[in-house]
Amino acid sequence: MMTMIKDRKTATAWQKKYDLQAPKVGDIAPDFNLRDANGQNPVRLSDYRKKMPVVIIFGSFT
Amino acid sequence: MRGAVSLTDIYAKYNEQVKFIPIYIREAHPVDGWWFGGNFLTKNLMKTFAPRVAMDIHDPQTMDERRQVAGACETSLSYGVRTYVDEMDDAVNKSYAGWPTRLYLIDTEGVVIYAAGLGPYDFHPSKLEKAIENYL
Repeated sequence: MMTMIKDRKTATAWQKKYDLQAPKVGDIAPDFNLRDANGQNPVRLSDYRKKMPVVIIFGSFT
Repeated sequence: MRGAVSLTDIYAKYNEQVKFIPIYIREAHPVDGWWFGGNFLTKNLMKTFAPRVAMDIHDPQTMDERRQVAGACETSLSYGVRTYVDEMDDAVNKSYAGWPTRLYLIDTEGVVIYAAGLGPYDFHPSKLEKAIENYL
């Protein structure tokens, strides 16, 4: 579980920590395998190699 | 999801050539976290500039709760793209430093060709669109 972010200070600390390891332009994108909101339709990033470019959009409801 | 309106336009334009993977991650401003709803200024700023963002969501504590909120988000925003859900260990979020919002474009070799800076300040769908145009 991620530490609860309660304010700008903890938000900035979290972003600085994980941005160091986040992929940069020219890096191989870390692979992942996730399911949709119904727990179905798995998607694996590497399945799109040699097929289509991929846009990844991170976000939440708030 | 923040910026979803203009991302919807990009999706409509490129979805036959590009795979779009929206990933629902830990909430940005839940009631039990860094909540904007309790402050008059931030509450009204959000209402003005991000009217479809929810203000009454608690951060999900189980995978079932996370899927429920992700589904509600997908339905509410009606952007027409299937949303995928990060696991409770936040592994994908952490590996991409995705919180609270971030954009990436990956080429067909699996290489990052556009990486937005940290959200929300560098969340610019127009830059993503430019990167897509340049690549295709």
